[in-house]
Amino acid sequence: MRRRNPSVRRRLVAVVLAAVGCALLPGHLRAQEDLPGVELGLFYANTYRPALAVQPFTGSFGGAGIAPQVEAIVGRDMRYSDRFEVLDSLPGALVGERVDYALWDRLGAVWLVTGRVEGAGDGFVLLVELHDVVYGEVREQGRFRLPNPSDPDFRMAVHRTSDAIVEWATGDPGMAASRITFTMMDADGNKDIYVIDSDGENLQRVTHYNHMTESPTWSPDGQRIAFASWKTGVPRIYEVDRFGRNERMVPAVRGEGDYITPTYHPDGQTLAFAVLGSESQSGIFTYNLAQGCCLAFLSGGPWYDLSPTYSEDGRWLAFNTLRFGDAVPQVMMMPAEGGAAETLSPYAYGSGGFYAAPDWSPHGELVAFHGRIDRRGRYHILVANLEDGGRVLRQLTSEGNNEAPSWAPDGRHLVFSGERSWGFGLMVADVTTGRIRPLLSGRRVDLPDWSPAVEAR
Amino acid sequence: MIVRRFFVMVFAATLLVGACGGDPPPPPAPPQPDQDSLQRYNDSVAAAEAARRAEAERLAAERAAEAERQRLMREARATLEEMVFFDYDESEIRDDAATALRAKVDILRASPEVRIRIEGHADDRGSTEYNMALGNRRAEAIRAFLVGFGLAENRFEIVSFGEGRPLQQGDSEAAWARNRRGQFVITAGGDAINPAR
Repeated sequence: MRRRNPSVRRRLVAVVLAAVGCALLPGHLRAQEDLPGVELGLFYANTYRPALAVQPFTGSFGGAGIAPQVEAIVGRDMRYSDRFEVLDSLPGALVGERVDYALWDRLGAVWLVTGRVEGAGDGFVLLVELHDVVYGEVREQGRFRLPNPSDPDFRMAVHRTSDAIVEWATGDPGMAASRITFTMMDADGNKDIYVIDSDGENLQRVTHYNHMTESPTWSPDGQRIAFASWKTGVPRIYEVDRFGRNERMVPAVRGEGDYITPTYHPDGQTLAFAVLGSESQSGIFTYNLAQGCCLAFLSGGPWYDLSPTYSEDGRWLAFNTLRFGDAVPQVMMMPAEGGAAETLSPYAYGSGGFYAAPDWSPHGELVAFHGRIDRRGRYHILVANLEDGGRVLRQLTSEGNNEAPSWAPDGRHLVFSGERSWGFGLMVADVTTGRIRPLLSGRRVDLPDWSPAVEAR
Repeated sequence: MIVRRFFVMVFAATLLVGACGGDPPPPPAPPQPDQDSLQRYNDSVAAAEAARRAEAERLAAERAAEAERQRLMREARATLEEMVFFDYDESEIRDDAATALRAKVDILRASPEVRIRIEGHADDRGSTEYNMALGNRRAEAIRAFLVGFGLAENRFEIVSFGEGRPLQQGDSEAAWARNRRGQFVITAGGDAINPAR
């Protein structure tokens, strides 16, 4: 695939070494103190979050037994959506089965969710109503099939109901029915792939390699996970289903080169990833999964590009690059079929700056990444808005170290790995309000990737 | 007096009778070796001794030479496998690393069958995926340095382990400095390592 011309190689080495040398000139500030031309800060729109109450769910035909469980899942999903001021629930005895709009109005609720679970065949049907308390009327209602609570899809079915409620109330999609894949380190320093639901429940181990395993990423249908594994001694990209079965190497290649940081095109047919280890072609490649062929080199040079991420429409790729020097990785974007790349992170020659791990929002022109932005060299989550030319960065975190953000299917939440004084964990941030909640704490977890919305089976 | 003389005569006669009783004559005394043959005998013994000693010395020297060869091979192998270290977020070859790599070049020139896998590693600060690229850049910088001395490029393969295989645990500058490194694994020709000429 790659045969190189030694004299070209040597010239490139000289250029690279010269570039590195320049970066090391005295006066070059490693710990960056200001970013020319960049506004950076923790600023949030003053968002109105209407008060929402969940009336205790009722049940019939065997549904009464699981109604409290269903209500608890929905109630927490409402909180985690960060779109409402969720009122503390009231005991059923106090509110009864009838909807007392005057009572809820006095308590300050704008929205009220009621639910009834009915046994139906093998499973249940959940009848949900969203009430507009101010107008004293039902705004939306729906019937949702729920399997038995022992079914592995039970919680996800309830989450889909939650997402419907969010969409009724706000017109925007939710993210409760989704999963997050990530790496977790064991006591021997090895990493494997795991999956957890968006509400922090249902932790599942996907791979059992007991080796270096990195960069898991969801297929657009949420059924497969691609990642890089070093299990043969050199990193290669593999794809498994979400239970870790049916493994295959994509592309199946021998020989030299580190195959790392895969991502799926939104159409699910193409995989983009980095191949490093060649001074003529170190950068982003694509591979046609559907045809099982056709490696294409997009970077166009020995640019050491990695961590690609597709735009929502699949026409653009953002990626990380070391082309400006080892110590100043930047985020760039280029057409999905390759071509001229432009810098998205605020790089100005000689100004330094460390930006890495981009992820393109599934809605709108936002790209999240992390950057080293304060003088103590801490890493924080940043969001660039391409409509502003990417030059205004919003900083989402302000404590600890924060890395590797990934967008939720609602385009509003980000999951990332955080390091705090108490240890490591996965965190979820709401980009709109800046609220942050822990998803999984106390474990050495990294490189989370948030799935698309999980459809019903 | 006469009686005493008689006894003496009887004793003498007894001796004579005893001597003539049919017994063989006493054996002649062994011939006295002449001086020449004695010399030859001594010489041959000395020669055998000398030959044996020489052989032993030859064997000992051979063993010593073999031990020395083994020692030099072990030393050469250790030199080939000696790690080199990098500055934070950099893949540039430092002066101390250049010295260590020059020593490898000389051995690799004398050992044409030896092939090496160069492994690039990073400390765990920064970004996990970025560190994979940085490790690769470090391994590539080492390969470029070695190839720059005229060694065939196909004798080296490179691989990055990013921050995934630290040498030393911990969040200290000492641990980080140990983890920012290039490692060398001999993948072929391990029994044909020759010391630098």
